[in-house]
Amino acid sequence: MSVDTFRRESDRRRYEHERHTSSVASSRSHHEENRGVKRKKQFSLLSIGKGLDIPFCMLIVLLLAIGITMMFSASYPVAFYEIGDSYYYLKRQLLFAIVGLAIMLAVSYVDYHHFHRFSVLILGVSYFALILVLLIPSETGVKRWIGIGDYGIQASEITKFAIVLFLAHWGSRYYDKMDTLKYGVMPGATIFATTALLLLLEPHYSCIVIVGILTVLMLFISGIRIKWLAIAAVLLAIVILLLWVTGLLSYAMDRMDGWGKALEYIDETQWQQTWQTRNSLYAIGSGGLFGLGLGQSRQKYLYLPEPQNDFVFAIVCEELGLIGAIAILLIFALLVWRGIVISLRSKDRFGKLLGIGLTSQIGIQVILNILVITDWLPNTGISLPFFSYGGSSLLMLLFQMGLVLSISRSSNIEKA
Amino acid sequence: MGANQRLRQRTVWLLIIILVVGFGAVITRLAFLQLVQGEELQQKAVDQQLSDTTVRAKRGTIYDRNGKVLAQSASVWQVVMSPASFKEDVQREYVASELAEILGLEYEDVLEKTKQDTYYSVVKRKIESAERDKVLELMNKVEDKYELSSVIALLDDYKRYYPYNSLASSVIGFTGSEDQGLSGVEYQYNEYLTGTPGRLITATNANGSIMPFDYSQNVEAIDGNSVVLTIDETIQSIIEKHMQQGIKDYDVYNRGVAIAMDVNNGEILGMATIGGYNLNDPFTISKEDQKKINAIDREYLLEKGYMTEEDNLTGKEVDELIGTAKSEAESMALSQMWRNKAISDTYYPGSVFKMVTLSMALEENEVNKKTKFGCSGYYQLYDKKIGCHNTAGHGTQNYTQALCNSCNPAFIQIGDLIGVDRFWQYYQAFGFSEKTGIDLPGESDDLFFTEDGSMGPVDLAVASFGQNFSITPIQMITAASAIANGGDVVQPHVVKQILGTDGSVVKNISTDTKRQVISKAVSDEMCRVLEVNAIEGTGKNGYVAGYRIAGKTGTSEKLTDSNGDFVQDYIASYCGFAPADNPEVAVLVFFDTPLSGNYYGSAVAAPVFASIMGEILPYLELEAQYTEKEAANIDTTAGTYTGLSVSEATKIVNSDGFDVTIKGEGTTVVAQVPAAGSKIPQGGTVVLYTDEDSVTQKVTVPNLVGFSLYDVNYLASYYGINVSLTGTVNSSDSTSISQDIAEGTSVSPGTVVTVAFSTSGVND
Repeated sequence: MSVDTFRRESDRRRYEHERHTSSVASSRSHHEENRGVKRKKQFSLLSIGKGLDIPFCMLIVLLLAIGITMMFSASYPVAFYEIGDSYYYLKRQLLFAIVGLAIMLAVSYVDYHHFHRFSVLILGVSYFALILVLLIPSETGVKRWIGIGDYGIQASEITKFAIVLFLAHWGSRYYDKMDTLKYGVMPGATIFATTALLLLLEPHYSCIVIVGILTVLMLFISGIRIKWLAIAAVLLAIVILLLWVTGLLSYAMDRMDGWGKALEYIDETQWQQTWQTRNSLYAIGSGGLFGLGLGQSRQKYLYLPEPQNDFVFAIVCEELGLIGAIAILLIFALLVWRGIVISLRSKDRFGKLLGIGLTSQIGIQVILNILVITDWLPNTGISLPFFSYGGSSLLMLLFQMGLVLSISRSSNIEKA
Repeated sequence: MGANQRLRQRTVWLLIIILVVGFGAVITRLAFLQLVQGEELQQKAVDQQLSDTTVRAKRGTIYDRNGKVLAQSASVWQVVMSPASFKEDVQREYVASELAEILGLEYEDVLEKTKQDTYYSVVKRKIESAERDKVLELMNKVEDKYELSSVIALLDDYKRYYPYNSLASSVIGFTGSEDQGLSGVEYQYNEYLTGTPGRLITATNANGSIMPFDYSQNVEAIDGNSVVLTIDETIQSIIEKHMQQGIKDYDVYNRGVAIAMDVNNGEILGMATIGGYNLNDPFTISKEDQKKINAIDREYLLEKGYMTEEDNLTGKEVDELIGTAKSEAESMALSQMWRNKAISDTYYPGSVFKMVTLSMALEENEVNKKTKFGCSGYYQLYDKKIGCHNTAGHGTQNYTQALCNSCNPAFIQIGDLIGVDRFWQYYQAFGFSEKTGIDLPGESDDLFFTEDGSMGPVDLAVASFGQNFSITPIQMITAASAIANGGDVVQPHVVKQILGTDGSVVKNISTDTKRQVISKAVSDEMCRVLEVNAIEGTGKNGYVAGYRIAGKTGTSEKLTDSNGDFVQDYIASYCGFAPADNPEVAVLVFFDTPLSGNYYGSAVAAPVFASIMGEILPYLELEAQYTEKEAANIDTTAGTYTGLSVSEATKIVNSDGFDVTIKGEGTTVVAQVPAAGSKIPQGGTVVLYTDEDSVTQKVTVPNLVGFSLYDVNYLASYYGINVSLTGTVNSSDSTSISQDIAEGTSVSPGTVVTVAFSTSGVND
């Protein structure tokens, strides 16, 4: 099959698919197709489309630049004292950022519709990875990483993407039946339940929370009945209650000890456990309105453990103040906004669902991360996109942004 | 609703949830933390980031009046550790074993410290520079070996040294572990000596290393000021030497006190409580006390009422009680040892007080040279008989004779002339009713019959000769100084000046005169009377040849001991001053409970007073003027006679005023005894040796104690030794009381033995 034949073939399939799922969409498809005659065909292996969305792209680069700068600022004392090289984290993060941006651009050229087909496969990979980590011995007893040499990837990174992708695939395919229990609720619930079970064994509670939110979010926009969500909420409450009673929640409870009470001294154990959160609060509070100035954080001098990871935003708050923090949150908000606008203007429902899922995930992670560092949520390990140090998660993030950009190429929006 | 519309609508809801609710919550939370709680959190952050190290100030030096160092702080170091910085047990074990060896600590104890979860742990304080060098070496080794740079650190510290050990211990005092003065001048002038500690405020990381900020603030420590005492180290040494001898000679049970004071300005030249303690080791009690404590047994418990026979205690319980008794005895011994008896003990001044009583009467013109006082051996006061020490009676006396006789009935009559009201007024005016305010801690109040000075006739009668009310030694010598100096009650003090770190004078302690209590004329008359007393009265054992001494003896009863139990002990004292025609220095000597048999002030305290004065006065460059009789007993310095021919040497020795004894067969003098430069009494014998063999000849020192002057001279010449005479040599009733080379000692012929004389004391 030649490239052209393939293109036509996928073109056709998509056309048919869209038509029988939505008349509005199909009429727009016709329209698009008519316009498409004048331009290049859209359903190709490499899709340049109308070009990628420059504002979204700029926002990503901007966030990445700020993120790496702040991660460097936060990490250099730790890197100096613990590793002996102030630039240790910067060098690695920069490398991953460059590779990541390349991947992002490359992926943006790939027609995201190919992932339609791969969604089940990727979901399979996700399960495989989740089972694999359980089999790899770990020193700490927490099994999250699949390592390749010095580098590793958290199985959950794949899982989060796999679930968004699969539910986008499923939701676009059975959009009309999403208000039924069989099509709307069962697949999502099954995937969530099995994934959650595997994550429970790692254990990786924060990921269960994120996967849960993503599942609900995807099902919600795919159009399931609100009733089912209410039932799910009740079930969730029951499950948590059961876990509580059976004591399976002990690890999580350990981590939640002293949650919300980081500033109070209860006993030595609690004081030690809340050390990181407390110093995060000290850092945030020290920043005040305008901050101590870039590079001027004091809390990063070994007071705040691992300031390059989950708690990087505490150092951002200390150095740039509330003004700086709000400015960065605004950029995140713009990114989410723009990503969702791109997605909504996507010509097909798969693009819409996938784009909304991927961009929302960033917003959700930002919110959860900041609630953790401000002691409103237990300290469970949720990283801040574009800011927290971590090669594989950054690559994964930029790969996903590449997908959104790919969607933007075929999206019906004004290109800047 | 169309499918796409539903998607769009739900996406709008999603956006609202994420961007409005989610981001809104996040921003609200951040704003709360950064704006509302910001200051509080920042303070907490700063508190943990700032390391506020106190930089100790160097404590000031204590000098004697001539600039000799009595107390000084020297740099030492404190070894601290940051146990939390260790990474492996191997490192802990290595550091623990090395530190234990360098610092002489137990390995297990140090290892325990290395395992603490803290960044600051004191390993040892006050190490000296030799140990410090080794610790520095170890620090380098640890850094090379394990790349641990801040595990061990040395902090500056100071240690107090007292070069003269026990000298003036009760005055100087000592400091505690935090360099704070605990007693004496160290305590009283702590404020000046301490200085102001500095602060080194630095921003540190969580490991305690300094953060690379311009954040540090260094407040320099201001070293303490130095204190110059009025104490003269030489005078203090003289006093302590003779007091120690006295304590030994008279078997004094409860320590002794001596004070030397400048009568004109109240400067204390010397103040000793014997035995003192080693200021460099103030928590070690004397061997005798320790022996007594170690000897505490069952009998002691019964005796001291820790238990009774009826208690039927088990062996273990008795052991426990013994332990309690021992620790109580130990703290008691320590507080006794540290006690400055010169200002903290009160005693009945006894007959010494008669100088005060007589001064009152003279000032009030109640007595004159014609006033006669009779004594029949006792004084009948209503139904009470008050005895005189001379039971035969002193007969009719004028006031000079009454004082020289230390006659109690005469002084009862003088007291009666003064009356209760005036007695109390003068008692107050002489400064007995209030603390002298000397600049030392722990001064006691007097204890008079009543608070308001009222008293009955018997009280007045015994008070006239210094009984039944208590004052402190410092009050007594202050009053004696007033009698001596023309009537001024001066402020006694031990500190002359405060000096800054650069040696500049920060403060001069002014010499205050509180009031004039008697006129110059009465003062002069008192000097005359007291001089007569020292020459021929009961005070004559205090006489020093060549000097005009004025003084008064005292023997006071002590009816209670420190526990308040009834005892019949005595305090022997002597208070006097010199020169009588222009008094400069007063000395008070006080022995608490001499047990040698003779407890009279005239027998026990007066000879020691004389010995002290005999050395202090020449030191103060007061020229001696000998009477003819005295001149005969003056020692002369032996010249150098060796190397001369026998005939030549004999001629010179004779012209120097000595007799010659020649030993050996040679023609040239090869050796001489006494050695060149030593003091020999006029008419003494110089032994010249003419060959080596004769040098080895020895004579045995005889017993020279208990003889008259004539007998001692006879014995000396008989045994072929020289005697140097001290003490009350010129009195017809003098007997020798001590010799400095013990009986039976084998010495070279011609060796000088110093023999002290004293008259037998009277119960004054």
